[in-house]
Amino acid sequence: MAPPQGMGREIGQGIMNQMAQASLSTELIYAFVIIIISLMIYFGTRELYNLTNHKGIKYFRLSFLFFAIAYFFRSIMKAIIVFVDPQTLREIMFNVGNAFNPLILFLFMYFSSMAIFFLLYSVMIKKWNGKINFVMFFNAIAVFIALTTILTNSAKFILLIHFLLFLFVAFIALMAYKESKNKKKTHGLYFAYIFLFIFWLLNILDILIPNAFQSFQLLIYLISLGLFLMILYKVLRKTA
Amino acid sequence: MVKRNKLEIIKDILTIIKNNRNSLKITPLIRKSNLSTSRFSSYFNELLRKGLVIETHNEGRKAIRVTEKGQKYIEKYSNIVGFIEEFDL
Repeated sequence: MAPPQGMGREIGQGIMNQMAQASLSTELIYAFVIIIISLMIYFGTRELYNLTNHKGIKYFRLSFLFFAIAYFFRSIMKAIIVFVDPQTLREIMFNVGNAFNPLILFLFMYFSSMAIFFLLYSVMIKKWNGKINFVMFFNAIAVFIALTTILTNSAKFILLIHFLLFLFVAFIALMAYKESKNKKKTHGLYFAYIFLFIFWLLNILDILIPNAFQSFQLLIYLISLGLFLMILYKVLRKTA
Repeated sequence: MVKRNKLEIIKDILTIIKNNRNSLKITPLIRKSNLSTSRFSSYFNELLRKGLVIETHNEGRKAIRVTEKGQKYIEKYSNIVGFIEEFDL
């Protein structure tokens, strides 16, 4: 005997809800681990910074503090995405009347952009000699990126901005590597940084275009985690 | 001779004081640190500002001492240099 039509729909919805909750649990665990790793890097390097006041160490630490904050907002965004119907998602994300969601999106974009900029700045500060205040410049770009993300309703435009940002970051990282005195030792580091930037971009796209990388999501999470763990290992080796 | 960097000069100044029973007058410290008076002065002010050394007055005699933080700097010096090299900072 076939089950009544209403019951089939209820079972389907139940499975969808369970899948959504499983996805959210994975996301929360992933974000939690990244936040812990980032904070371990931040607090693990505190003593070295207090002893030296070295600017490179300062921006390296700040970068991971900002990564932790960005991932915190990312997990809030993901929770919203999982519990809201994708069709009404854009409406909610960009609804001016509902100030909460654009504010989270703004903070997420701002802190994530600043995290990348500070990581870049930590390796470039000795080459740029600290003559120009790049922090103000980076803040201005990060605010611009965050504002355009919440004000424009075009995924293509946001993608273009992030692609340009990636090209800029990759170019600067390549320049830093070329000027590096100890290429053999830092080869792996710059390789890891470039991958960190690529996977950070994928993480942003995963937020801006929900379900875009559904089949590769776990792989993206695992590689991102691997990169953060590798940096933590390098930090602990030198600070423990 | 390879030019010393800032971190190395700070470590050298702290080690000189430490090796002199942690109390040294300013004139022999300038001589032993191998720096010009103006360069030494800028490093010395930085060491005082960061709390790595303190000036003490004992029976009218002024001497420089390494603080606990300064001692920590000497101990952690190889870690600091290793970290900076590892992350190309």
